[in-house]
Amino acid sequence: MPNILVCYKWVLNEQDIKIRPDDLSLDTARAKGKISDFDRNAIEEASLIVEQQGGTVDALSYGTPAVRQSVKDVLSRGPNRLLWIGDPGAEVADAMVIANVLAAAVRKAGPYDLILCGEGSSDMFYQQIPARLAALLGLPCVTFVQKLTLEGGTLLAQRKLGDCTELVSVTGPAVVSVLSEINKPRIPSLKQVLGAAKKPSEELALESLGLAPEDLIPKAVRKSPKGFLMNRKNVVFKESDAAANVAQLVASLAAEGLR
Amino acid sequence: MSILLTEEQELIGQSARDFAKEYLEPIAVDMDHTGQYPAAAVRALAEHDFLGLFLQGEYGGAEAGYVSLVEAVENLSRTSAAVASIVVNHSLAAYAIQRWGDPGQKQDCLPALAAGRTLGGFAVFEHGPTPGVGPDALQATRTPEGWALKGTKAYVRNAGVAGLYVVLACTDPAAGAKSLAAFIVGAEASGLAVGPLAETMGLKGCPVADLVFDNVILAETALLGGITDGAAIAAETLALASVAEAAQTVGIGQAAVEHAAAYARTRVQFGRPIATLQAIQTLLAETATDCHLARLGLRAAAQLLDQGEPFQVEAAMVKQFLARTGAKLLIDTVQVEGGFGYSEFMPLPRLFRDIAGTTLLEAPADYPEKTIAARLLA
Repeated sequence: MPNILVCYKWVLNEQDIKIRPDDLSLDTARAKGKISDFDRNAIEEASLIVEQQGGTVDALSYGTPAVRQSVKDVLSRGPNRLLWIGDPGAEVADAMVIANVLAAAVRKAGPYDLILCGEGSSDMFYQQIPARLAALLGLPCVTFVQKLTLEGGTLLAQRKLGDCTELVSVTGPAVVSVLSEINKPRIPSLKQVLGAAKKPSEELALESLGLAPEDLIPKAVRKSPKGFLMNRKNVVFKESDAAANVAQLVASLAAEGLR
Repeated sequence: MSILLTEEQELIGQSARDFAKEYLEPIAVDMDHTGQYPAAAVRALAEHDFLGLFLQGEYGGAEAGYVSLVEAVENLSRTSAAVASIVVNHSLAAYAIQRWGDPGQKQDCLPALAAGRTLGGFAVFEHGPTPGVGPDALQATRTPEGWALKGTKAYVRNAGVAGLYVVLACTDPAAGAKSLAAFIVGAEASGLAVGPLAETMGLKGCPVADLVFDNVILAETALLGGITDGAAIAAETLALASVAEAAQTVGIGQAAVEHAAAYARTRVQFGRPIATLQAIQTLLAETATDCHLARLGLRAAAQLLDQGEPFQVEAAMVKQFLARTGAKLLIDTVQVEGGFGYSEFMPLPRLFRDIAGTTLLEAPADYPEKTIAARLLA
């Protein structure tokens, strides 16, 4: 029976983020947290596998101390246990730092037969964590997975590529990142929501993971996230002659460089 | 009182919103047109524990409490207040049995209600001015076996789809409404018939009909609570109805406000979005404020329920507030959207019809003042 780890990120809900019109800075004061979208698929996939085959699912997250807010939400979706690292430094962590921390936590809590991740996070969408994590752990990595079966110790993964799919077989532990089409994340029932409080969750202290100080220093530094506002030209052609309106529209688009 | 939701209550609200998006959004408009009972959605509600939300764990309930109930009802109502009405009326029957049932009645009824195998209905109103008064008032007469029920209950929601009804009947014709007793009546009871479905203005899909009792014979064990408890059962259960329907009203209102705000941002008049006009901003601000204050009030009443405290006065205050502001919420949001908002291809007309139902049904609008004043003047 597989012992699965699923990694997830607790991100701000993009629907709650407002763009300040004066300087295009982001107003996140009223933004609530949520499990990153693709990570929900990873959690669902892990839960489906153990529901069918038995085994256990641990969930793991590295984030700011706000990650504590995710505990019941994650555990209501199937995982048996949650491990999380709350670190104010996670606010500025780049993909390398995140992968370093997750890998150290896996070494401490593992081993696992399968490590599942979402293809990318809803906020930064680096798409680097699964590959970096696999490299740090010395495991094979399979990305863009839209279908996954686990038989014995062998993984069969269908990857979605640009204009084709690819079937990959992997023996032994691996890191797999999944796309949204792999499944439909469940809506937890109320008993699952209330039962989450009874499942174990453990905060791992960052300093207990044996990381060197340089492992936690981001090399890629985010300077100024800014919103993007589309300024409409508000050009309206409303003459009574519809054909003339269309002709003017076409001419106007052509003048804008549209071909 | 804490005005903040617990993490579980937040998650239950989110689950209800996600549920509504997946199961109710695809059917809400059609249901409004056809009035068809949403059987598949009700089954899904049961699978997600919404039908046993506040019932005790020993009977299979989720034991999530009443703040969770109103949070779920509000979020379901944002998408379909009709489906939320089905949940609310089921919950009224379940509440009455959990509150006044003896151990045998609870064991017989609550597991099926909690699991959604049986849907509940709460039958209190009659065609006369008050239960127990009028030519077709439901009368309960003692028999050697137990009770015989004769008469009609009116405007019963979940009529015809419920497997069990909690029914208020008069036990002494001379005493009228003062002699109400409550009974648990199975839908299969011999002599019980469901009248034609009523054509309602809104909340279509939640069936409403009369229940006609033609000498329905019940065992003694069908009596819920004591023989003189009927009025108290009706009053307290209707107070819960006031709180739950307030949550429906707020859910509908919030959906309308959000739709109107989105419309105002994109609708350009006089060369700029109408959201920049002070008159529009005032309408949106006032409606959003009414929703927010009503939400705080109904959560406070639900919290009293969770604590086992009296809550009828607070429930009446919420009912009174929304009786005055509920319909206005929709008038004002339609005003923001103008002619488009008035059109049936936009959602506001459906929300308008639904909010009329949630502010009018189960308790008449002039009743809350009586409850509040009685408390003040006692």
